[in-house]
Amino acid sequence: MKCNFNFAALLVILMLNIVFTQKMVHQYYFENYVTAIIYCFLNLILFPIAILIYKQDQKKA
Amino acid sequence: MTHKNNKIPFNEDNYTHNINRNNERKLDRRGFMKTLVGAAGVFAISSLPWGGVAAKELLGLGNKEYPHKKIVDIKSIPVGHSVDFKFPGEHDDAILIRLTETKYVAYQNACTHLRCPVFWEKEKGEMLCPCHHGKFDVDTGAPTAGPPRRPLPEIEVKIEKDAVYAVKVKRYEV
Repeated sequence: MKCNFNFAALLVILMLNIVFTQKMVHQYYFENYVTAIIYCFLNLILFPIAILIYKQDQKKA
Repeated sequence: MTHKNNKIPFNEDNYTHNINRNNERKLDRRGFMKTLVGAAGVFAISSLPWGGVAAKELLGLGNKEYPHKKIVDIKSIPVGHSVDFKFPGEHDDAILIRLTETKYVAYQNACTHLRCPVFWEKEKGEMLCPCHHGKFDVDTGAPTAGPPRRPLPEIEVKIEKDAVYAVKVKRYEV
């Protein structure tokens, strides 16, 4: 198997996505709107990071 | 009989019999990683509306005043009884409970776990969500048992001219 680091990184990102989404929804209902926006932002920047990791993996192959 | 489906029915020279279809649709490493990136994209897009409504609330656009709404006449709700009503919108279920002669409490009665309706149990003196047996304290709306972790949003009420009116939905204390 080659470069399982990238693979694991993507799995970690998916995990973080789930955690942040859960936190975001709960903080929204608790009316802590700033915290909800922070989690939304974190969820958004995980996507470009995932793309970068994927591209990097493509280059190595 | 056993080889019936294993044969090419007739010798037809149409350049298709040499295609190897084994593993054609197998999910390989690259394909799975692509799926993971796609999932990250779906998460990102689906969190946008939450950020949007949160920002809207922060900017104060969601703080509009609702007209006071008459819930029920005092004489038609005995002490210890409850009545269901809608506030502030037509689809926001709420419950008014008369605890004593003068004390009324009202909550939005969508359970904070999965939004089942919460009922007032007069005999036990507690509010119960029948879906997963979540219980709420009737004085504060705080969850006391079961899966819910967040208090029920309280509705401010006032007594005027022998009737109970809903004034506004209280914010959580920060």
